Amino acid sequence: MTTDSLASDAVRRELDPITLEIISNALRSVADEMFAALMRSAYSTNIKERHDHSTAFCDRAGRLIVQADQSLPIHIASMTGLMQTLLSKYDLSEIEEGDVFVANDPHVAGGTHLPDINLAEPVFVEGELLGFICNIAHHADVGGMAPGSMAGGMSEIYQEGLRIPLIRLFRKGELQRDLFDLMLLNVRIPEERRGDYYAQIAACRLGVRRMKEIAGRYSCEMLNAAFDEIVSRTEFRMREVLKEIPDGVYSFEDVMDDDGVGTTDIPIRLTITAKGGELTFDFRETAPQVAGNINLPRNASQAAVVYALKALLDPEVPNNQGILNCCEILTKEGTLLHCVFPAPVAARANTSQRVVDVIIGALADALPDRVVGAANGANTTAVFAGVDPRTQQHYLYFETLGGGFGGRADRDGKDGVQVHITNTSNLPIEAIETEYPLRVESYGFVEDSGGAGRYRGGLGLRRVIRPVGHDCIFNGAGERFTHQPWGVFGGQSGMSGRFQHVNEAGDVMLLDVKPSGIKVSRDDALVVETPGSGGYGDPKTRAPQQVREDLSSGKFSAEFISRHYGEVKETET
Amino acid sequence: MEMDEPSTNWVVGVDVGGTFTDFYAFERSSKTIRVHKTPSTPDNPANAIIAGLEHLGESGSVPLEAVTRLAHGTTVATNALIQRKGGTVAVVTTRGFRDLLEIGRQVRPKMYDLKADYPPPLANREHRFEITERIGAEGEIITPLDESEIDALVEQIRAINAQACAVCLLFSYANAEHEQRIGEILRARLPDVAISLSSEVQPEFREFERFSTTLLNTYLQPVLNSYMNHLENELARLSPDAHVGINQSSGGLMSIERARSFPIRTALSGPAAGAMGAIHVAELAERPDIITLDMGGTSADVALIRNYEAGLSFERDVAGFPVRLPMVDINTVGAGGGSIAWFDRDGLVKVGPLSAGAVPGPACYSRGGTEPTVTDANAVLGRLSVRGLLDGAMTLDVEASRKVIQPLADQMGFSVEKTAQGMLGIVTANMVRAIRAISVERGHDPRDCTLMPFGGAGPLHANAVAKALGVSEVIVPLSPGILCAQGLVVADLKEDFVRSHRAPLTQESLAALQDILDDLVEEAQRWFEHEQIAPKQRRIQLSLDMRYIGQNFELRVPIDIDESNPKLPDAEQLHKAFFRAHEANYGFHNPDDPVEAVNLRMTARGELPSLPIPPVPEGASSSPDPVERRPVWFEAEEAVETPVYRRTDLAPGCRIEGPAVIDQFDATLLVYPGDVARVDDSLSLILELAK
Repeated sequence: MTTDSLASDAVRRELDPITLEIISNALRSVADEMFAALMRSAYSTNIKERHDHSTAFCDRAGRLIVQADQSLPIHIASMTGLMQTLLSKYDLSEIEEGDVFVANDPHVAGGTHLPDINLAEPVFVEGELLGFICNIAHHADVGGMAPGSMAGGMSEIYQEGLRIPLIRLFRKGELQRDLFDLMLLNVRIPEERRGDYYAQIAACRLGVRRMKEIAGRYSCEMLNAAFDEIVSRTEFRMREVLKEIPDGVYSFEDVMDDDGVGTTDIPIRLTITAKGGELTFDFRETAPQVAGNINLPRNASQAAVVYALKALLDPEVPNNQGILNCCEILTKEGTLLHCVFPAPVAARANTSQRVVDVIIGALADALPDRVVGAANGANTTAVFAGVDPRTQQHYLYFETLGGGFGGRADRDGKDGVQVHITNTSNLPIEAIETEYPLRVESYGFVEDSGGAGRYRGGLGLRRVIRPVGHDCIFNGAGERFTHQPWGVFGGQSGMSGRFQHVNEAGDVMLLDVKPSGIKVSRDDALVVETPGSGGYGDPKTRAPQQVREDLSSGKFSAEFISRHYGEVKETET
Repeated sequence: MEMDEPSTNWVVGVDVGGTFTDFYAFERSSKTIRVHKTPSTPDNPANAIIAGLEHLGESGSVPLEAVTRLAHGTTVATNALIQRKGGTVAVVTTRGFRDLLEIGRQVRPKMYDLKADYPPPLANREHRFEITERIGAEGEIITPLDESEIDALVEQIRAINAQACAVCLLFSYANAEHEQRIGEILRARLPDVAISLSSEVQPEFREFERFSTTLLNTYLQPVLNSYMNHLENELARLSPDAHVGINQSSGGLMSIERARSFPIRTALSGPAAGAMGAIHVAELAERPDIITLDMGGTSADVALIRNYEAGLSFERDVAGFPVRLPMVDINTVGAGGGSIAWFDRDGLVKVGPLSAGAVPGPACYSRGGTEPTVTDANAVLGRLSVRGLLDGAMTLDVEASRKVIQPLADQMGFSVEKTAQGMLGIVTANMVRAIRAISVERGHDPRDCTLMPFGGAGPLHANAVAKALGVSEVIVPLSPGILCAQGLVVADLKEDFVRSHRAPLTQESLAALQDILDDLVEEAQRWFEHEQIAPKQRRIQLSLDMRYIGQNFELRVPIDIDESNPKLPDAEQLHKAFFRAHEANYGFHNPDDPVEAVNLRMTARGELPSLPIPPVPEGASSSPDPVERRPVWFEAEEAVETPVYRRTDLAPGCRIEGPAVIDQFDATLLVYPGDVARVDDSLSLILELAK
């Protein structure tokens, strides 16, 4: 999208940097207030505890103007995708005050996967359309073949759940009850979903009210001018920092483990051309789209590029349309990073993570002080479902686990965190066991999983879970379970992750990377181990004190230490 | 002089701030008030307290032997955490979970920043020990505590020379048996090691936050203990009859003994004292709903007071670590007199959070400051007296302020004054955003409140902040620069109790809740006895945390009870109270959805007799003359010739129409054109803003 302009140059000139900052501040306030309101009033754990949601305002041209501080990078893609769909499907004259649009489909409605339900409500000021309040929440289930709607083993989008094209859930403030009934009938645990929808709707209403208050202080004309300025100044700022990348051609390739239904070793290939701050990201040599659910819609690929650039060059740059406009991205239809119907996409976050790693890998020589070793490269997902023997109710426990974050130019990586495009919290053990008939037996770091280096990679996580008093079903999605997270500048690779099923007798069975429908009996345990991450720099240059700490903390074995760092002198200071 | 009278009875409030230690001393029978400020001594804050007390004693204004109570707001805990001054700490936790304190919530502090990390845990991994035991969600014992492992544990804790140890077991809020047993043995065998149990520090659901709070608590125990010992010894020499009360983060004093056991409760001690002071002023002026704005040199603290009570939050970060405890809901924003204006990379002007601090400070202080600060903006707009604050002890160089703002002005093509007005506009917007977070985002409309600015810089910005919030009235306390110390003098003795009990909210389940309420009442009674609080001064307040079944965040709903016979209302009334709270907080409620109770909370207070109205200063008049006139820039581009008054010249009944400047010892108040300032009987200044 090009930066079109909603306001006249004269009005834009009137906007000095001070007024603009004060308006931006007010807009950020609205986005953050909606974020907090949605989090606090939602029903599901995934939103309340893990904050898997985002809120934003887009102007009437569909440009993203402001996003809540804690919004997730991948949700940028869905929001702009939704706006593009909305504006191409409807004439502005068809949009009325009190309408609430809802969508989730990646192929026809700009979404990135079905569980992310997008809502948008227009803001009218004295009959004039000012823009749209948007929010996204990841619903813990949207129907489909497997509980949680995230499991592997599916080969077309229909299996992944209810596809919602862009439709109006409210018309002029009136809930379309028939539609809502249909939507709820097609998902598991509809009561909880309904609560989450209500929370999303309430957040929309709140945002509309707040935007009207702002419009009461500044005219629509002035606000439109502010939107123009916000977008163009951010784009300018981003283009300025892009100049820090030296001219050159940078290539990198990494390989996805598998798609869960038979295709393995799927390459992502990138060539970046930088010339005077003009950047082109060419992903066209990437593998074709796959039958399994790790495909990325194009707008999600774009979000991954934008995340990587922002993280490497200017973490404080505001999230708005301006950062989406700053570089050229080339993809080929029908490939893994630009999938088309009927590609399934549920586990697309794993691929997004890998796109980020690939960009960082490509730019290592260009930005040696900024890049990091490959991260756990996954969004390791574990879903447990069954019938709670205490209540005879169906339950669904869904979680994504963090892992290693790669070694950095001046310090070690981080152990056991969400990386890059995701930053969702874990669920407290005390919440899991209270709400679900499950017992968490242990939760800790995976020894030796961080790649050695001058600055070592972070460790992966291990969680051991048992069903209590019943049999349950496990579905999972892993990545970097066969292809390890690599190091940079001589840093070593970190360990892969794995899912294991331990039966009553203690026999350990290694599960697939993307297992589906695994029956876990009451005396069995399910072990989730997430990948570590790559190190930074030659291990031989690691400070002896840090090597000693690796050993004394028990994070690394003596064998690992001697293999990578040689003999550790006990008394050196 | 009062000193000669044996019946005199002095109460002293001491607030230790980053720059100054403030004293507010008060004698009831003679209504005498003495205030004092002395530079803080960060290495040992007790030194400034002792020096200040000695000054008050030597100057003859406060007979130290007649001090019966010393109420203390302290930053020792927070500073120790920020500087990581504590020693080696051990953790004992459930087998399988020693990494839990390090994993936390598995998140990064900033999503897009590859280099930002949370601070490493206060206990190293090799100092976190596991023990075989397991309790389940209902409090049932799944694996009994293996006491045979404790011997080895004791040896390990000895071997690492730990000064303190946190005992953090899963589900200990539901069943504290194992923690208590471990605590008992460790306390007996390691008498020199401070022990904190998570079930004692904060027996609440969500293990990471509970463990983190407990670890912080135990980490602080040795630090606070040595500080308290030092303070107690010195005080025993100066004021042997003084009872010491330490202010807690939730507002309200606790004994030194409790502070030693629960030092983490002092994390927000100072700011909470500000809220107590504000409540006192609000009561005198009969303004129940207040937004406080405490603006100092580097930051501004804002809080919401409703019906004379400070809003509480139950979780916040302290030095990068989550703490789950009741704390006054204070939001801090990097907006102070020293906040620096700068151009961001996209050309927008920002103010703060970087601050010039006390050194080099704003350019106009002539201590080497070269960056344009908020104080410089106020100086060029004529809003500050050139002879400066602190009765002329610090004069201002306005030319220096102009010089540092000029480059900013040139870049925008503005005059220096318009640039300065813009800087103040931005700092106002930042404070307004912070206030919205604690009012609007919690479901409270700030327009129903009165704004109370204090701290050195608060009254200067009150008009702008109030207008942006739609607030029409501002109340400026008599001593805005010393309100925290004053708050300490009026603070009640207070203790918070909590029990987690999850149950659906039905008439049948109320019996169990009533049993818990009875336990809490008994606990409160024991506390009253222990603190020797007279029966007629005892107060209890009850609240119930509730939520819809399936929700994961609770709403704290105050429950009215008969204090003489505390009984829970019936389920229907509890539902109604919850619906009202849900409506107020989130704008909706579903009357058909099932509700559950999560925590029962009780606050016990020992009320102290309240402060009387301060005496009118000598020479004050209801029609005072200005001490000078000077041009001041308010909102317009042109300056207006403005009279300047001294606060000490203003008597009750005095009415001043804006434009005016009112100067006092450590603060400056602006009365904008069209605004009207009145002095009320309690000497507070009430500002009615022009519509």
